[in-house]
Amino acid sequence: MDLLTRQPRLAATALLVPLLVLASPGWLRLDGVGPCWAVLWLLPWALSDGPFSGACAGLGLGLLMDALHPGGVTQVPALLLLGWWWGRMGRRAPPIQRSFSLGLLALLGTALLGLTLTLQWGVLDWFGAREALQQGGAVTGRNLVDQGVNPALLALPGWRWDDLAGAGFQVLLAQTLLTALLAPMLCSLQLLFWRQMGAGWRR
Amino acid sequence: MPAWRWLRFPQGASLRRIAPWLLVLLALLAVRLSKGAVLADAYAFLSRPFWPGTAQAEWLRSARRVEDGARLAQLERDNQRLRTLLELQEQNPSRVTAPVISREGAGWWQQALLGQGSLSGIRAGQAVLGPGGLVGLVGSVTPTTATVTLLTDPRSRVGVWVGRTQHHGLLSGVGTARPLLRFLEKDPQARPGDVVVTSPASTLVPPNLPVGVIQTVDANADPAPEAVVQLIAPLSALDWVQVQVR
Repeated sequence: MDLLTRQPRLAATALLVPLLVLASPGWLRLDGVGPCWAVLWLLPWALSDGPFSGACAGLGLGLLMDALHPGGVTQVPALLLLGWWWGRMGRRAPPIQRSFSLGLLALLGTALLGLTLTLQWGVLDWFGAREALQQGGAVTGRNLVDQGVNPALLALPGWRWDDLAGAGFQVLLAQTLLTALLAPMLCSLQLLFWRQMGAGWRR
Repeated sequence: MPAWRWLRFPQGASLRRIAPWLLVLLALLAVRLSKGAVLADAYAFLSRPFWPGTAQAEWLRSARRVEDGARLAQLERDNQRLRTLLELQEQNPSRVTAPVISREGAGWWQQALLGQGSLSGIRAGQAVLGPGGLVGLVGSVTPTTATVTLLTDPRSRVGVWVGRTQHHGLLSGVGTARPLLRFLEKDPQARPGDVVVTSPASTLVPPNLPVGVIQTVDANADPAPEAVVQLIAPLSALDWVQVQVR
């Protein structure tokens, strides 16, 4: 809480996250997928500043990211949970300074974020498909020959289950790996910075 | 010396003297009978260094390009005139050129950010054209920026048809670089290589814009026959696009 209460201006560095998402350079991509900058910023902040501040930062970051990406899904719950969890870990557990554990935490966090998004799209697809089927009747198998194609089912926007199982899984894997690879390099520097700042005001 | 002496068969020595000339005559006869095969080939072989080089081919190609461009403009004007006659599209389409200032070509969201927004007349839902045809539709606008939902994004649904068979379908992004064309007919009769253009029946996009080329067709897919489409426009390398504002 020290950073957030005593030096709220530092929280403004979170504004770099959406800018980095927009300006993510082409060479910093794995299979065309950029890293999860929100996780890379939230991890050191929450580790050095406790659960409440981490959850607040997660909420703010989630709102910023949702503003950038239209669609019926939200990143807020996952980032909120991650901020709180990492904050608790920074308080209760012995200090986490090893790069390996930073990479592992970023890996788990990005995977969780991707999984919550996948789950939301899956649920949306399921509800949408059910509604379309109610409108146009079940159009599969033999009915396809009799009645033709149900356009309402085709016009459903968003990720479908088979897309998620194919391209979605690839995106999840690429983003998780890339974020976990960058976390030891970037997060340890940020952690050092935040801790120095926090210590500076405590004095 | 008798009068018939000149008819007698030549002696060995004189035969040996005229034999080369006989061979030359035979060779000329062969050339004549083969319609000058050796001559033309020899000419081609000798003149090969002086054949029209790449520069000349380039002139010809550029002339061809100019001709194609002129014909295209003429046909577009003609098409526009006919459409106006049919009262299909009364308004004159105008386009706003915008730079692409951010690209997310892969990932959970596949979108591009343009450097022009509602101040330039861009509204949500308008078609975005790049080199090679349709790129996507404007998803949301701010005063100075506009977010384009690319055709590869799973949220993108655009009405298209295969010009050759005139069968309609929905071009749906599936998260990969190649969107799926889901046909509305049971038997689409599409083949790999068919060109996919925007549907003339669609009110969302300008009609008959080229979109892509069919790569593979799966006629037994569920719930509709589908085809994998390779887009013509290079989505990962866009730098300037045009937004069709109404």
